[in-house]
Amino acid sequence: MPLMLNKIRCLEYKLGILGLAVLVSIFILDASPALAHKVNVFAWLDGNTVYTESYFSGNKKVKNGLVEVFDPTGQKLLEGRTDEKGNFSFTLPQKTDLHIVLTASMGHKNDFNLKITQPVEGTAGPAKKEITAIAAPQKPVQADIEQIKAVVEEALDLRLSPIIRSLAEKRKESGPGVTEIIGGIGYIFGIMGLILYFRNRKKD
Amino acid sequence: MHISEGVLNPQVLITGSALAVIGTAIGLKKLDYDRVPQVAILSATFFVASLIHIPLGPGSVHLVLNGLMGLFLGWVAFPVILVGLTLQAILFQFGGLTTLGINTLNMALPAIICYYIFEKSAKNNNFNLSVFTSFLAGAGAVFMSSLAVALSLIFTEESFWPMAKLIVLMHFPVMIIEGLIVAVCVQFLKKVRPEMLDAAYVK
Repeated sequence: MPLMLNKIRCLEYKLGILGLAVLVSIFILDASPALAHKVNVFAWLDGNTVYTESYFSGNKKVKNGLVEVFDPTGQKLLEGRTDEKGNFSFTLPQKTDLHIVLTASMGHKNDFNLKITQPVEGTAGPAKKEITAIAAPQKPVQADIEQIKAVVEEALDLRLSPIIRSLAEKRKESGPGVTEIIGGIGYIFGIMGLILYFRNRKKD
Repeated sequence: MHISEGVLNPQVLITGSALAVIGTAIGLKKLDYDRVPQVAILSATFFVASLIHIPLGPGSVHLVLNGLMGLFLGWVAFPVILVGLTLQAILFQFGGLTTLGINTLNMALPAIICYYIFEKSAKNNNFNLSVFTSFLAGAGAVFMSSLAVALSLIFTEESFWPMAKLIVLMHFPVMIIEGLIVAVCVQFLKKVRPEMLDAAYVK
């Protein structure tokens, strides 16, 4: 009879371990799309407007999060709050790189550096001079060039905006993957191994 | 539960780190080294738990399982939670390296308080009492951690009560679920491995 009981107990134990293993694997599989507790902010420039998007990992939008915009010297330019979809947009205040800081609730914070690749005056400058030099002091030509520049820029903006947006989307992190999770568990058991190893050496 | 970098002021960070170091030292001193594998398994559980997202309630929250750590580990919860949080910070970018101390303190201290309050009654042979108190240990640890997070933010967020209310409210589903998890774990181990219920201490 005690043997029987022992067997039942052993079976129960095995079943428990199995159940735990299934549970853990479900959680790990489930983990990839739905994660929490890291907040992300990213931004892109479209025309003259800067769009920002803020979300917790697991793609949960940050509602009413504080977005602050700084210039490279640390001067605060403006601030605002994200809407229901975690979006906040503003017109480009100045043509320098922007440092965007998001403060969400409960001590979550992250930042994003938006590089503004501006149409540098230096490159346009000499070309303009050359043309005006060739074309003598004819004012209409210069005006045309300005117009052409504006039209080209507008067309480029229109064409490039989906690409810029998709690049920005790609930069979104999708949260820790299976590699990180398994890696972390590996570290823990590695530490265990180290402790046991030194412990056993002491004993010998 | 994980406070990010650059939110807290240095005083809070330094105090948190100092207390976490003390707690970890006590934990390591008390650890029974023959039971390191058991401790490692619990550490891995804690590490993975924060990936389990709970879509209920108003916010984006995840399991913490510090009540489980506390009840099974006592003071050893400190080093275990520190290891878990370090790996979460490095691999998942949850929290941050500078906030490691305060985050460890916020999660481990409630765990130990729960250990001292509920340990005896959770291991009691009375089924109802055991289930009830282990549920309270699981839920209570998350509740206290929520308050601790609000308390750490007091210098940056100014108002304590609205903050505390919000965090506790957001973690309400987590409290219920963790209470249930701890209650089930305790009953299960009581049946199959009662010796695992004792904290991994040198007696």
